[in-house]
Amino acid sequence: MRYTLVSMLTAIALTQGAGAETLDNADEIVARANLAAYYAGADGRSEVRMIISDAQGREQRRQFTVLRRDLDDAGDQSFLVVFSQPSDVRDTVFLVDKHVTREDDRWLYLPGLDLVKRISAGDKRTSFVGAHYFYEDVSGRRPAEDTHELVETSTDFYVLKHVPLDPRSVEFTSYVTWIDRSSFLPMKIDYTNAAGDVYRRVEVIEVIDVEGHPTVTASRVSDLQTGGRTDMQFRNIAYDLGIPADVFTERSLRNPPREWLQRPASR
Amino acid sequence: MKTWAIRFATERPKLIYTLVLLAVVVLGAFIARIQIDTDPENMLPATQADRLFHNAIEDRFTLHDAIVIGMVNEKDPNGIYNVASLAALHSLTQAILALDGVIAPDLMSLAVTDNIDQQGPGTIRFEWMMRDAPATSSAALEIRDKVSRLPLLLDTLVSGDGKAAAIYVPIASKDLSYPLSIEIRALMDKIDTDDAFHITGLPVAEDTFGHDMFVQMGISAPLAGLMIYLLMLYFFRSVPLVIVPMLVALATIVMTMGLMIGSGFTVHIMSSMIPIFLMPIAVVDSVHVMSEFADRYRPGDDARQIISEIIDHLFTPMLFTSLTSAVGFLSLLLTPIPPVQIFGAFVAFGILLAFVLTIVLIPAYVVRMNPAALAKLAARSKTPHTDTLLARLLRLGGRFAIRRAKLITGITVLLIAISIAGVSRIDINDNPVRWFKANNAIRVADRVLNEHFAGTYDAFFVLTHRDPDARSEFIASVEALLANLPQPAAGLLRELLYDRDDASDYYGTLIAAIEDALFAADAASVDTLENVLALAEAAQRDSKYFQRPDILQRIADIQRVLADSGYVGKTNALTDVVKVVNRELRGGSDDEYRIPATAAAVAQTLLQYQSSHRPQDLWHMVTPDFSSTAIWLQIKSGDNQDMSQVVEFLDNYLAANPLPANIEARWAGKTFINVVWQNTMVSGMLMSLLGAFAFVFVMMAFLFRNPKLGLLAMVPLSVTILGAYGLIGWIGKDYDMPIAVLSSLTLGLSVDFAIHFIERTRDFLRSSGSFEVARQKMMEEPARAIARNAIVIAIGFTPLFFAPLVPYITVGAFMAGIMTLSGVTTLFLLPALISLAGPWLFQGIGKRNSFAAINAEEKD
Repeated sequence: MRYTLVSMLTAIALTQGAGAETLDNADEIVARANLAAYYAGADGRSEVRMIISDAQGREQRRQFTVLRRDLDDAGDQSFLVVFSQPSDVRDTVFLVDKHVTREDDRWLYLPGLDLVKRISAGDKRTSFVGAHYFYEDVSGRRPAEDTHELVETSTDFYVLKHVPLDPRSVEFTSYVTWIDRSSFLPMKIDYTNAAGDVYRRVEVIEVIDVEGHPTVTASRVSDLQTGGRTDMQFRNIAYDLGIPADVFTERSLRNPPREWLQRPASR
Repeated sequence: MKTWAIRFATERPKLIYTLVLLAVVVLGAFIARIQIDTDPENMLPATQADRLFHNAIEDRFTLHDAIVIGMVNEKDPNGIYNVASLAALHSLTQAILALDGVIAPDLMSLAVTDNIDQQGPGTIRFEWMMRDAPATSSAALEIRDKVSRLPLLLDTLVSGDGKAAAIYVPIASKDLSYPLSIEIRALMDKIDTDDAFHITGLPVAEDTFGHDMFVQMGISAPLAGLMIYLLMLYFFRSVPLVIVPMLVALATIVMTMGLMIGSGFTVHIMSSMIPIFLMPIAVVDSVHVMSEFADRYRPGDDARQIISEIIDHLFTPMLFTSLTSAVGFLSLLLTPIPPVQIFGAFVAFGILLAFVLTIVLIPAYVVRMNPAALAKLAARSKTPHTDTLLARLLRLGGRFAIRRAKLITGITVLLIAISIAGVSRIDINDNPVRWFKANNAIRVADRVLNEHFAGTYDAFFVLTHRDPDARSEFIASVEALLANLPQPAAGLLRELLYDRDDASDYYGTLIAAIEDALFAADAASVDTLENVLALAEAAQRDSKYFQRPDILQRIADIQRVLADSGYVGKTNALTDVVKVVNRELRGGSDDEYRIPATAAAVAQTLLQYQSSHRPQDLWHMVTPDFSSTAIWLQIKSGDNQDMSQVVEFLDNYLAANPLPANIEARWAGKTFINVVWQNTMVSGMLMSLLGAFAFVFVMMAFLFRNPKLGLLAMVPLSVTILGAYGLIGWIGKDYDMPIAVLSSLTLGLSVDFAIHFIERTRDFLRSSGSFEVARQKMMEEPARAIARNAIVIAIGFTPLFFAPLVPYITVGAFMAGIMTLSGVTTLFLLPALISLAGPWLFQGIGKRNSFAAINAEEKD
């Protein structure tokens, strides 16, 4: 799996003719990884299917569409998450205004209770709707919250170790990322806890090229303590749709923007 | 066989020694492989339905055995809600989380629990209740206010009065509980606050119990052996006479335990008592032989000849006493509780082994004694017998029994009546925690924690929705639509439609496939696929049964009546989660503490709950497909009676307020499992006792070739069993596991006395033909032997009073009681009955009652 992935990525890199240089500055690598993972295009949409399994293999599914719009590359951006499955949570909406210099703004709409709530800033390392992904994994962790150290440069990966500046705000003591040298996508992240054990792992399973952007289409996060895991599949991905800013306002909570949520005609 | 055995033993003593020694060494070596089993669950067979269900429930809701830590602050007016105590709780929790073997994600403590509340109007906040220990007392009190709004925490993680906090430490394996509890104790010892710490929980209790069992086997049982040795030494005043029975007992115990452990059986509380039970039984037979040998041997006699005669004439009564005792214990096989069955089988084996050892080892020993030792033995054992206090009392008592036979019979009848009344008052109750003494740390922790919290005893009332029709109806209606679909979509969906894999999300998988098909579908198929999708979505919503508000309301009703009943400290369920999240989503006012109106609203409420640091907590209460839910009951007492009361109460409530059809309701949880095996034990023991009673009677009738004498032999044991259990009923001691098992010991030992008494009486009758002579003779050596045995066993077990575990103390006390009772009934009631109905009972033997006969007998 890893092998085919790597060769596929190499193929992408070759066709793009990029990734020839070798970087040795950890901060720069992290900055480029941040861009590759969260800022492809000026905006984007993706349909996400989440399969949450516990240690016994019992599954729960969630399906939602994510719309994203960037104010600046590596800067503030907005996310709108609209649930479609299971049907009892359909049209539940999260709106996130992600800020680089201050806490994010988050809103929530629950159609069954016809309720708009603001979610307190604060801890973003809580589960995202029961998955093993955290809120922070969905919108991205700010590079400035950790110190970065390049520990190894292999043929395919930059291996970096990250240590949080405020260890009390997170449950890990450090994490290590394997960043693909050509796509700059973090392909694997291992989180280590106070006991020194790797207790959580995020892996990219599949990457394809979408409109010139290497794009993750399958990934997995494993809770190595409980044996549970969440698989994410991304479908119908499109970039640079020209989604207007007013889609990412409280108004969209009660009235999801259908025209942007529906699948784009094949282009 | 008898003669062969005697000859073999007297002619090849060295070979006998070698063989016995070899067997002891070989079998004894297995004892090193001892495996202690203290899991009360093992009182039920591994395939027992309730146990299987209980284990399935532990898997279904990921429930683990947990070490429970209690922290109590009686000094601070705010209890544990002060800076120092909360800091201690926080650091202790963090330290425990880092220990190997702790299932960290499921650990429950204020320090790792989530809070949901309001951060100003319109803003909801999810956060750790106590990510860091509070720095100020006002911050500490804020935590108190937050906890007071969370019913799932209150009285579970912090007591309602704020004086106590608890940490539940789930552990990966029971084997880790001992090292972990040591590590945790070390962590607790380092804390220097006003708080008192307690540690308990089932795994810790089991470990402590296992340890105490070893102590019992290593100290109490040998001490009982020593006591018996000293008592016999007092009676017989001859080391060689006493040492052989002790060796027989020791060899029996080592070989039996070795065989049991070597056969791969674990040592349970029951089987740990095997040495205690075998000790008196093994000693008794050989004492009979040695005592008679000492009486009959005169210097110059041929020891081989005399011992051969003695064995020859004691062989049948000893065989029968051994067989009847063995039957008493074998009857335990009728009780479907594996540890009890193993116990019964191996005690029975030990009894028969002791018989064999007695008839070969003692002759072998005697023929190898040198003449000087034999002479000393004869001289020492001669004098004291006839004029001791005991001997005089027995003669006096015997005369009284004959003269006042009617009075004694009358008193017995009265006592039986009183006993029956007592038996009817018996309380059947057990609680493994009470197997520890009251001052044991576990009992103390148990008491303190149950004073403060809603209860440390768990039971789970599990509701499961099954609707097989729904699935088949769904499949039928989808099939009708699939006919309109082209391949490969139809084939793919059909495959998923019939998927029976329980773990997978059936409807979710199907819906995902339908959506994929929709994406690729041509215009003609879209309508059909959307109809299939609509069907699947509707079926999926219906299948999430315990998301329905009306059903959740029913569960809330059950919780309410349980709370009102007073039998339950507290219940925790899915409803509590839904209500709390609903309240906070709707602004936090108390009137919003309710279940929302629609299933979708419930689903969305739970989606929020799952957006916490511990989403997996939800699955302790409901399965991911929402088809099964568990109400967790916290009960303050582990007494079977209290648990049974809860079960009965809820049965009655549900009979009057039936649950909807298709809901299966069943109990699980350790406290409930204890009730199950207790009930099995009580009915099983009754079966065992009746079975043994009938079998022993048949054996007696066969042995005496006379059903009337068989009946007579049953009298002492019947009176003893009735008397002992009547006494238990009157003094109000609970009928628990050890008490139940002792009935078979009573049966086995009481009948021994009766067999010897009747057999010897008949011998005397045959030789003298006179009841008077027989009576007089019976009150000499035979009566003394019986009395001595009774006293030795009764007093010999007093060291058990100092055992660390209550069941052993019970055994010691009960043993003393039944020995006294059965000794007294045999020695006084039997002569009285014989004097009243002797000629009828003994059928033609002893019709004459003349001086000639007496003279003839005395010359003999």
